[in-house]
Amino acid sequence: MGGADAELAARCQTGETEAFETLYRQHAARIYALACRMGGSAEDGEDLLQEIFLQAYRKIGSFKGESALGTWLYRLALNHCLDYVRSRQAKMNKLTETLDATSSFEPLARHDTPIARIDLERALERLPDGCREAFVLHDVEGLDHKEVGAVLGIAEGTSKSQVFKARARLRALLRGR
Amino acid sequence: MHPNETAIHDYVDAALDVRERSEIERHLEACAACRQLIDDLREIRRVAASLEPRDPPVRAWTRLERAIKLENAPHAASGSGAPRQRVTAPLIWLAAAAAIILATIVGLRLTPKAPQPAAPQTAVNAPATPTAAPPDDPAHSVETELRQAEDHYEKAIKGLEQIAAAEQGVFDPRTAATLQKNLAVIDQAIGESRAALRSEPSSEPAQQSLMENFKAKMGLLQDTVALINEMRKGNDAGAARVVSGLKQRGD
Repeated sequence: MGGADAELAARCQTGETEAFETLYRQHAARIYALACRMGGSAEDGEDLLQEIFLQAYRKIGSFKGESALGTWLYRLALNHCLDYVRSRQAKMNKLTETLDATSSFEPLARHDTPIARIDLERALERLPDGCREAFVLHDVEGLDHKEVGAVLGIAEGTSKSQVFKARARLRALLRGR
Repeated sequence: MHPNETAIHDYVDAALDVRERSEIERHLEACAACRQLIDDLREIRRVAASLEPRDPPVRAWTRLERAIKLENAPHAASGSGAPRQRVTAPLIWLAAAAAIILATIVGLRLTPKAPQPAAPQTAVNAPATPTAAPPDDPAHSVETELRQAEDHYEKAIKGLEQIAAAEQGVFDPRTAATLQKNLAVIDQAIGESRAALRSEPSSEPAQQSLMENFKAKMGLLQDTVALINEMRKGNDAGAARVVSGLKQRGD
């Protein structure tokens, strides 16, 4: 852990709001992006962001400096997002299927035109939770399948098949094929 | 014969050994469909890896700051030694809004079948969170939950509307018009969701749609409060960011 990190952590641990705001400003964009993508919408992302930073505020006292502050925060965020998605998955299966069957999505980038990031972000929202999590962790966040498996509590092979499923679904949404 | 799906994705991920890779490449020379598939998958991977962080809405920090202050308040009063903060120019009218927002949004995220489980949340939102009936209680129906959620959203929205109305004079005419236009669109959507629910009360998409529209209205009003806050602090850059977000909502 760097000196600046240690100093910021120490200030946060005394409850200094300005220090916590600095921590927020440094990391909110990355955490918010992760939360939006894992949660599947900007609305969920905003709620998750708030919950994650509140948790961080409560738990900052337990931060021992064994990793970078950003890494600690990222792990906390990831775990919180996963808890949320899992609890939602258990309850929303039926609804997801209903919406899936009835809603439409007009592919915006067809054939050989480059895919715009905004279109991919929109398409990500349409993926089922399980394969979206694996895709975000592997293709967006850059974890390998072994790491994705460990984070999600699934086998490495399951991580692969979920990522493949997500890509195939995204291809259908974005390319119309 | 086409390579199997796993081999195609492993090829895209550069996870094949030399022999397997050459086999695929030989096939690709003769198969336009597989070449197209691989091009598409590579493009998806490329764009996914290039996705960037996203700035959260300005109101997100305002909400969080108020939540922290509210969380600290009982500790400070009891002198328990819990983290204390420097208080920076508190705005009481915003604290009231934050309490409502916290109680509603953090403590009550709608699920169609059951109350939100136990995010380890604060005592702050506990008093306003609806008391969950036991799951085996026959009265504990989706409709009951929906009514409770609707009730809470309406209370929160009313509180925010009062704040926004009291401070309306601070907006320039164009911003005020944007706000009004966006609110009118959301109100219309709420009306349509309600109509859909009246004709089919058990429709889950209609229930979800109503809650999403309530959330959208809350979001817009929260942006409005954040804008008022930024303007009062004299933070032109912050205010401009909120206004830009408001315009995007309307696009």
